[in-house]
Amino acid sequence: MRKYRVVIVVILAFAMLIAAGSGPIYSAPAKKIRVAMLMASTIDDMAWSQSMYEGLKAVQKELGADKLEFVTSERMGNPVDAGAAIRQYADQGFDIIIAHGAQYQSVLMELAPDFPKTTFAYGTGFTAAPNIFAYDPQAQEGAYLMGMIAALMSKSGIVGIVGPVESGDAIKYNYGFQQGVAAANPNVKVRIAYTGSFGDIVGAGELAKVHMDAKADILTGSAQQAVGAARAVAERSGVYWMSTDMDQASLAPDHVLAAQVYHWEKVVKAIIDYRAQGILGGKHLTLSFSDGALELRYNPKLVSKIPKNVLDLVEKAKQGIISGALKVELPKKK
Amino acid sequence: MGAISGQGIVVGILATGIRLAAPFLFASLGEMFSQRSGVFNLGLEGIMMMGAFAGFMTSLGAGSPWLGVLAAIGVGAALGLLMAFISVTMQAEQGISGIGLHMFCWGLSGLLFRVYLGFITSCKGFSPWHIPVLSHIPVLGPILFQHNWMVYFSLLLVPVSWFVLYRTTWGLKVRAVGTTPQAADTLGVNVNAIRCQCVVLGGAMAGLAGAFLTVGQANMYADNITAGRGFIAVALVYFGRWSPMGILLGSLLFSMMNALQLWVQVLGISFPYEFAVIMPYVMTIAALAVAVRRVWAPTALGKPFRREAG
Repeated sequence: MRKYRVVIVVILAFAMLIAAGSGPIYSAPAKKIRVAMLMASTIDDMAWSQSMYEGLKAVQKELGADKLEFVTSERMGNPVDAGAAIRQYADQGFDIIIAHGAQYQSVLMELAPDFPKTTFAYGTGFTAAPNIFAYDPQAQEGAYLMGMIAALMSKSGIVGIVGPVESGDAIKYNYGFQQGVAAANPNVKVRIAYTGSFGDIVGAGELAKVHMDAKADILTGSAQQAVGAARAVAERSGVYWMSTDMDQASLAPDHVLAAQVYHWEKVVKAIIDYRAQGILGGKHLTLSFSDGALELRYNPKLVSKIPKNVLDLVEKAKQGIISGALKVELPKKK
Repeated sequence: MGAISGQGIVVGILATGIRLAAPFLFASLGEMFSQRSGVFNLGLEGIMMMGAFAGFMTSLGAGSPWLGVLAAIGVGAALGLLMAFISVTMQAEQGISGIGLHMFCWGLSGLLFRVYLGFITSCKGFSPWHIPVLSHIPVLGPILFQHNWMVYFSLLLVPVSWFVLYRTTWGLKVRAVGTTPQAADTLGVNVNAIRCQCVVLGGAMAGLAGAFLTVGQANMYADNITAGRGFIAVALVYFGRWSPMGILLGSLLFSMMNALQLWVQVLGISFPYEFAVIMPYVMTIAALAVAVRRVWAPTALGKPFRREAG
């Protein structure tokens, strides 16, 4: 086996180079804004990556395909692959390169100074640089509202979170959800567990089953693997799912109660507008309820199951978040 | 409110563990035959992915998870045949051809998914089938007899594999070509034919393992659905010392530890989750390190058979 291992490592390394080098080559006319997006999963993951992809599509639709062109690189989970692809996009003269994930922060910080005319963006993050935007969905805001709904709707008194990896967006989301539950009904227990992966839908489904076996009757969770958990919830009756990043109701129409939807088009447009003003980066862009980039969406099929007073309480809290009267805390940085 | 008894927790952990073991059993038992005959197939992960895809698409299109399982077995066998052609007939280096096959399948499954569907949706899967009478036995019933049929089938394949390997003429030939291919050849056994059969069988079972993920477990498909399970299945063959019982033990140990860590997390037992997640891997490595006294492997494993090389 040992001798094979060396050969395998060499081949893998080679394959990565090939994979990274296979980005499309474009020679677009000038003036058109050219955007490249990299992601760890795929444009149809029904979560984090797809939500950004839909945002780009929306902006393209609004501006016209002759004004905005965008390309994507999927399965860029490995920062080494991602770095090579980012460099190549920059070399090809793309104006805006969106590396859609917190894990790309360091590779961008390293590369961006070599391409001072290119705008880079990544998130979830808050550390910007002269030509790097950091975008930062306030996942805790919608999570708080959904936590309230969960606490007021749970019959067993237990709600479960199917977490990916304890980092970035997931921490904020989970923390907000816990606060929402505690605010609405402190007797309801929140149980948090992680799969240790972002994309393992089977693992997320199994974790959801364990949550339900342990009596949780409302579940939620973030990252692209969450669709697996949503699906597992849909297999049982009397349990509900709350989705984030995207509305996952199409997957489980009788089980998704509500969703926090990210409107990335606002972020993309902000980046384009800043660039038009000559600002290539250096800003920390947030997605929040107050700027309309976050939306709480109820499933029309199930909204009648939510009592009126619950809807009212949630709406009041939402207005509080928008006005700033209600502050959803973030975990203290260690 | 919502309390769960200690016994309920133990039952929950064991039942989850049995269910989680099924895909490993399918894939590892198949790979065992392959390796017993002298071919290790690192493409297992990719074949599982294609099996998962075929099972999902067929179930979605035809509305029948049963057809999905058949399609997955067929696709797995076809990919096994491809692997057999490359590594047995053409005598290519097995490790490299396996990795190549994996990458091919990963790319192909993603491409086909994009071309034929392009969005995440759910398909029909198998519901648990509570075996009459047996499923009502306290404790044992919920642990063993309240799963879908694929779980029972995976457990049934353990004695079946043992019987085929140790009690049939074909099994004898498999063992012979994996340890002393020259001698087997002298006795008139067609070494490469047996190896091809084993690799095809291994592929079919990997396809079945993939179908378990989509129609037996998740009822949906997404990119890279196997998430490394195929590689773990290869490792479990080594762990199980190329024997069905060993593979059963390895699969159960790994899956039970996984079930345990899920429950530990869900019950909010204060324990770093990072450690919980790696626990199954650590335990399996530790068991492997401690338990292996007699290092035995099919002696011709990884070596292509050339008649004149004798």
